[in-house]
Amino acid sequence: MKINVPRKYVIDNLKYALNPASIAVVGASRYDGKVGYKVIEGLNKWGYKGTIYPVNPRAEKVHGLKAYKTITEIPGPVDLVFVAVPAHLVKMILEHAVTKKAKIAVIATSAFKEIGRGVLQDELTQYCRDNKLPLIGPNLVGMGSPYLNFNCGFIPYLPVEGPVAMISQSGANLLAALGTSQMLNFGMSFFVGLGNKADVDFSEFIAYGAEDKNTHCISTYIEGLDCPEAFMQACQSVVPKKPVVAIKVGGSQIGVKAAFAHTASENEGTNDAHYDEIFEKAGVIRATTWQEFLDVSLALGLQPPLKSDNVVMITNGGGSGLLSCDHFERMNMPMRELKDISPQLVDRIRAYMPMFGSPLNPVDISGTASPKNYKGAITQAVRDPKVDAIYGSICPTSVTDVSAVTNIYIDIYDTYKYLGKPFIMEAQGGEECNEAIMKLRKHGIPAYPTPEQAVNAIVALRKYGKIKEKFNK
Amino acid sequence: MKENNEKKQAEYILGTDSQQEWKRDYFFDPRGVGFLEPGIVGLDDSKMSAYNVAKSSYQIHPEVFNMDYLTKATGLSKDDIVKRMHRLYDEHLIMFVMNPATQVYGWGLYYWFVKLKEGTTKEEKSKLSEWYQNKDDICTGFEAKGDFDFFNGNHMRVLDNLISSVIEPWKNNPEVEFAHICPIRRDIRESHINMWDARPDTYRQDYWGGNQLEKLAKMQNLMDLKDLKLFQALNAKRPVEEYFDFEVLSRISGLDPNDMKIGIKEIVEEKRILVPVFFLNFMKLNLTNHMFVIRTFQNIPCYRKAQIADELSQIADYNVVLEFSDSFYDILVCAYNEISDINALKENISSYA
Repeated sequence: MKINVPRKYVIDNLKYALNPASIAVVGASRYDGKVGYKVIEGLNKWGYKGTIYPVNPRAEKVHGLKAYKTITEIPGPVDLVFVAVPAHLVKMILEHAVTKKAKIAVIATSAFKEIGRGVLQDELTQYCRDNKLPLIGPNLVGMGSPYLNFNCGFIPYLPVEGPVAMISQSGANLLAALGTSQMLNFGMSFFVGLGNKADVDFSEFIAYGAEDKNTHCISTYIEGLDCPEAFMQACQSVVPKKPVVAIKVGGSQIGVKAAFAHTASENEGTNDAHYDEIFEKAGVIRATTWQEFLDVSLALGLQPPLKSDNVVMITNGGGSGLLSCDHFERMNMPMRELKDISPQLVDRIRAYMPMFGSPLNPVDISGTASPKNYKGAITQAVRDPKVDAIYGSICPTSVTDVSAVTNIYIDIYDTYKYLGKPFIMEAQGGEECNEAIMKLRKHGIPAYPTPEQAVNAIVALRKYGKIKEKFNK
Repeated sequence: MKENNEKKQAEYILGTDSQQEWKRDYFFDPRGVGFLEPGIVGLDDSKMSAYNVAKSSYQIHPEVFNMDYLTKATGLSKDDIVKRMHRLYDEHLIMFVMNPATQVYGWGLYYWFVKLKEGTTKEEKSKLSEWYQNKDDICTGFEAKGDFDFFNGNHMRVLDNLISSVIEPWKNNPEVEFAHICPIRRDIRESHINMWDARPDTYRQDYWGGNQLEKLAKMQNLMDLKDLKLFQALNAKRPVEEYFDFEVLSRISGLDPNDMKIGIKEIVEEKRILVPVFFLNFMKLNLTNHMFVIRTFQNIPCYRKAQIADELSQIADYNVVLEFSDSFYDILVCAYNEISDINALKENISSYA
């Protein structure tokens, strides 16, 4: 339901969604395979330290804990009410939650507006608003934070710790991101599924992310924006401090219908240009594909904004250099030749490449480059005051010591991090490159398996540099 | 009835008009063993809302059921009824459930009898009870004494699956002498209530033999006669609109009371594919069932077998009446040992021989 501005009482209470002292799990089940079973299993498995109150009128115990018939019978205070019962019971549960003075309600249940029960969804939302009970969902998968060992929902794993707050309407894509986090060191600060976002809106979680100390990039997967004004307002106040990334789906002819059937998102009468305009005004960086969304989020979470187009690419592979410079141009950020960035740097960097290398930019230190060549070239580049970002690339020839180059890149990054220049790496190859990527990410350097992904990341850092400049004025 | 049957029996020859006439009563339209029937309603369909809201909230709000009807039927006050229902539920004596016409939902309904080898110890038998209770593929189970040791049931889309995942594992237990499958031809009565395969005019009728409730009230102290009469009233056949309080259902769920009424009426009364049932925890009341497993001679035509099952279903003492197909056995009827005249029932069955 529409809001015009992010509401303070909602933002204040979102902490109970991610760090509650007590949780009532309504629909707590004794049967494995049921959401109400998995929620408690997940809370226990991932080390939730608060109090769990299973609520199930048909059970005496769930997971060894005393079950209560209703929330109102619970003896202690309840911060979070997690609802995993069929839609037809949600009204009663919310009434009980209000009676109990719970701080926030999370409804995993489906079968509301997305199947035509829009009136009921609105009535329940209005009831919650009248009683100042923020409602997340319905129709969502859950939420959590690796920093708090908190996994509340039917979510099989926590992500690794990191800088990205993931706010997603889609449960499936949220799970995909969590899976990626585990497999590819994509670090997250917290994650939340919004589902139909009947009450709590993107804008309010964005505002919450702005205050969260572990969050350095707020990433949003959007199927529909019901409250563009609130979204813009929240983003405009956040982007001077932290970047916001958005992927907006459901714009294709059939996608419009699919988005409604999925999360009751209304996109009729809108188009991509409409959302481009909103994102532009909001200062939000828009990604087009899921991969780009993740790549860009990672870079923005780990690295400072890029102040200019003066990016120096140092590679031992001419091919990756060419893929990169073509893609930079496609992304409207053509690479500048090294001589135009810093004529002196050309000569200094030549000392670290064979005579058949090329100091053009991409700087090709050739396939025979040793770790020493890398170290010298990168150090020269980063120390040059006219260079604003380092883009390293490794091509795993038989003389390339990928591991050693990775270590050098990390050492230089650690040494010169204070300069505030983004470091990006691309390692295109086999297992050794994958290991390098994982290690670099662990050390806070966004690293990618293809040049295009790395370029997208750099372009996003530059976009954020411009956004910051614009919104700080 | 008897006269009629004799007349039909004489005329009944395959391919004749009289056979077609008979089919009007006993021929079953394709009912989807292994496929869904058109017009089927999913268990979470909005037409099921009244049932779904009631079954998930009556533990807290027994007034989801029509209290006006119940007060009239029992002479108890509403407060007393609510209090009693809370207690009966909390003490696990009654439970609100539904029985769906599984064939219509695309499943065959199968039961089977298991006989253990002579000399099998009590402990071994208990272990087998434990085993099948933890086996998800088996949804009904009775431990028995006498000609059989177990009576189990389940619904399955494909008979092969039943055989491979249930019957074979049963037979693989070294203690097992045999396991006989009995596919359901007609589900006539379960839990005292007539189902969709009973004669149409008796559909949803509930049955208790004369004085059975009074006898039951005397033999235990968990449910008094008022409780039992309340239980009987909860199951009493009446139009679906008199079964629930749709305003209460609406207050709980936010759903439209009229939509809920129309939906559940269509399912229960028009489509006849689901019967709401209050189940009695008879074991807790120290009741045991006497199961009569009936095998008819091979020269008994199927229509007669169906008639016998219907005739037996007119006896109110039976809480279960099932007719099997393509199996060793043809009919199963159950009556509680403690509150029925088992010998008289046996004599009645024997009189068909």
